[in-house]
Amino acid sequence: MHTIVCVKQVPDPEIPPAKFKIDPVAKKVIPPPGVPPVISVYDERAVEAACRLKDKHKGKITVISVGSEKSTDVVRHAISMGADDGYVLQDEAFENLDSFGTAYVLGKAIQKIGGYDLILCGRQAADWGAGQVGSILGEILGLPVITFACDIQAEDKKLKVKRILKDGFEVVEAPMPALVTVSSEIGLPRLPAGMALMLARRKQIPIWKAKDIGADLSELDRSKAHTEITEIFIPTRETKCEMISGATPAEVATNLVSKLAKMI
Amino acid sequence: MASREVFWNISYGYLVYLLALVSIGIWLYGFYQRYRVWRLGRPDERSKEIGKRIGIFFRHIIVDVFAHRKFLRQPFSGIMHLTIFWGFIILLLASAVDAISYYSGFHLRGSIYLWFSLISDLGGFLILAGILMAAFRRYLWKPKSLNSVLDDGILLTSITAIIITGYMIEGLRQAATEIKPHPDWAVWSPGGWVFAKIFIDLSEGVLRSWHKFLWWFHSILTIGIILYSGLAFSKLQHVIVSPLNIFFRSLGPLAAPSPIDIEKAEILGVGEIKDFTWKQLLDLDACTNCGRCEDACPAWATSKPLSPRKLVQDLKGHMLKLYPNPVQSNENSSSLIGEGPTEAEIWACTTCAACQEACPVYVEHILKIIDLRRHLVLAQNKMPESAQLMLRNMQMRGHPWAGAQSLRLRGDWTTNLDLKVLAEGDQISTLLWVGCTGALVDRNVEVTLSLTRVLKAAGVDFAVLGEGETCCGDPARRAGYEFQFQLMAEQNIEIFKTHHIQEIITSCPHCYNIIKNEYPKYGGQFKVIHYTQLLWDLLKQGKLNLLNEIHSTLTYHDPCYLGRYNGIYSEPRQILKMIPKATLKEMKRSREKSFCCGGGGGHMWIEKQPGTQKISQKRIEEAIKTEVDTVVTSCPYCLQMFEESIENKDSLKAKDLVEMVELSLKKSS
Repeated sequence: MHTIVCVKQVPDPEIPPAKFKIDPVAKKVIPPPGVPPVISVYDERAVEAACRLKDKHKGKITVISVGSEKSTDVVRHAISMGADDGYVLQDEAFENLDSFGTAYVLGKAIQKIGGYDLILCGRQAADWGAGQVGSILGEILGLPVITFACDIQAEDKKLKVKRILKDGFEVVEAPMPALVTVSSEIGLPRLPAGMALMLARRKQIPIWKAKDIGADLSELDRSKAHTEITEIFIPTRETKCEMISGATPAEVATNLVSKLAKMI
Repeated sequence: MASREVFWNISYGYLVYLLALVSIGIWLYGFYQRYRVWRLGRPDERSKEIGKRIGIFFRHIIVDVFAHRKFLRQPFSGIMHLTIFWGFIILLLASAVDAISYYSGFHLRGSIYLWFSLISDLGGFLILAGILMAAFRRYLWKPKSLNSVLDDGILLTSITAIIITGYMIEGLRQAATEIKPHPDWAVWSPGGWVFAKIFIDLSEGVLRSWHKFLWWFHSILTIGIILYSGLAFSKLQHVIVSPLNIFFRSLGPLAAPSPIDIEKAEILGVGEIKDFTWKQLLDLDACTNCGRCEDACPAWATSKPLSPRKLVQDLKGHMLKLYPNPVQSNENSSSLIGEGPTEAEIWACTTCAACQEACPVYVEHILKIIDLRRHLVLAQNKMPESAQLMLRNMQMRGHPWAGAQSLRLRGDWTTNLDLKVLAEGDQISTLLWVGCTGALVDRNVEVTLSLTRVLKAAGVDFAVLGEGETCCGDPARRAGYEFQFQLMAEQNIEIFKTHHIQEIITSCPHCYNIIKNEYPKYGGQFKVIHYTQLLWDLLKQGKLNLLNEIHSTLTYHDPCYLGRYNGIYSEPRQILKMIPKATLKEMKRSREKSFCCGGGGGHMWIEKQPGTQKISQKRIEEAIKTEVDTVVTSCPYCLQMFEESIENKDSLKAKDLVEMVELSLKKSS
């Protein structure tokens, strides 16, 4: 079984929002200096899901990431968790892509790798949270798409996926190959054990340019982007604290309930 | 001329020596069986620098064996062991003198004989006194850390019987030959004299037959004990195994884990008893179950599941179960963790080394625990969730702090300070290494800032790495996540080398210890100094002057990794004593005996076992009992732990040493 996992490198989501700066003209986020690049949390769960399938069915995991040289770190992280190979897709033409552009690049790379049974993506990225690349990629590759997976089982060319719904679960089946986006409910990603960590450090991560994957540069032109950022800002958050008073605890509770009732 | 006939009334006395030879042979066989068990362990290089080792061993024999340095830290049991030890030495020498004089024909006579008799009797008396103390302690007093087994009872009873019958034999001989003609000689053997007075009226025939019977009883009992000890591998074996263990003790830095060779390693950590090294197995047999480590252990003192004594005894029990005497090959692999020590025990250790400091026979507990952790983490991926979180943070963020605890970024503390922050290509000889906690946690950043101000005031030329500094790797290494440590060590060494750094000033004792003592194995040889050492030098050179009076009663808490790990006890105290009007008081446990704050070994981030007391709370209770207003330390973990545990901050404050120095530095205007 060959699984390809798409991962993204994001600024550490643990960094407090106040540390970020916005360039309102270029409509870009400027992360503070010294922020460690980390693997997007949902993508890490996708790698975990791939590793669990590999634990059970053997096979191979390939990891790809569109980004800069820094992305090799997140690809290495995935390899130390249990992936076998990894590629970074880096080209000037790949900068500032929207979800459609990113999916196009990933699709080209996946077609080059070929021979896959399953494509996994995180349900959304930890930075922008658009949650579109997975579905668009499925469309490009002509694969069945299952989103928000919290459990993935594979049986003879057939996938059985448990999906998270607002009020419960849904179990769906699809033939392989298919594309599945993974939600955090799948469980904690493993800590890379033992030597995998060192071996991953030494692993060669090839960098593929646009021409390596046969990407049509005209497809990546900004003018062809399907989305446009109109405004970008850091929301201001206000907290007000009001002490509820009352003579007895029961009275305090009553006052609180009436306050809450007004707010709803 | 005073003297006595050796082997008086005894025919075939030489048989005793023959029997002794046979029993020593059997004893050696028993010992050989144990040797075979130790040999099952992995190799460990302990024979290099043999000359140095022998020198150190003899120093230990004098200081730790003859003078009982470590034993006497517990006065009662120390004196108890001291009397038994010297009693046996005297009696062994006396028996040897008897044998030599009998076979060489050279007899002790006159006053030399009388003194010899007195000293021999004193030997027996010392043993009896010690045995009495031991029996009282073991069966009436019953300290919690003392666990009694059948072997203890057998040894105490039989040794008592050997000494008493020895006096009785002496008394019977005196009653028959000495007490009437030479009463002045008899009193030189007071133990025998008492019995001679009792037996004085018995006829010579009765005396002789009793004497003969008891003499053989006494001799055979003594030989029997040697046999028993050899075959059952009784605690008595410690008279050989413990010195052996001291001889092979680690001479390197305290509890520095051995590197794992990534290319060659077949096993990761210790999952089976055979995965220990032979020296670690020897350790298990050298342990006499005395409980000194347990008394010193902060985890045990706060009701955590770990007792270092029990851990070693459980490992020993597991070893004996798999390889009983005589040793047969046992190919069944048996999982050590769970059958021996439990995971909860293994994770409770703060690696404070109080156990190793207390152990009179130099058992090395900490590396066993780290080896067991390595197996859990590297081979089984099993660890407390909080430990996993810490390790993930180290891996992804380069430091163990994350999330809400750390609203700062690595280089934030340097903002708006006139500091040299190293950029690519910069070279500087002296680096101030601030450590993760000193860079990321608010209270500790205050200390870091104070340190930079004091260093500047003294005119020290230094630079910092700012956002370029990553973790030293200590929490990962102590938690058994060796490869993460190795990555960080290699990365840091490269950074130091590219900036041509020669001297590293550290603020955190954990960074200090690992960079100084453990980086050299990865090719990083740097001059590492802790800031307390540096400040003491600057004060001595007059580059800093402590002029401000501080009306305060202080106590200094020794961080484990500065004190026990690196022997830095005096500099911090000297500095504090230089502060005008400040009074320095010692807590009940200080210096070598200092009690951990609970933050080492990864425990700054590993959650404490539910329902147990915080170790730092126990330490703060001790500081409060010392009646001081400030507890001073020189480690970011200790400071953090104390800040969390001091309930009433009006009556007790936690300060870093450099903050005290800075307070005293400013000239009041």
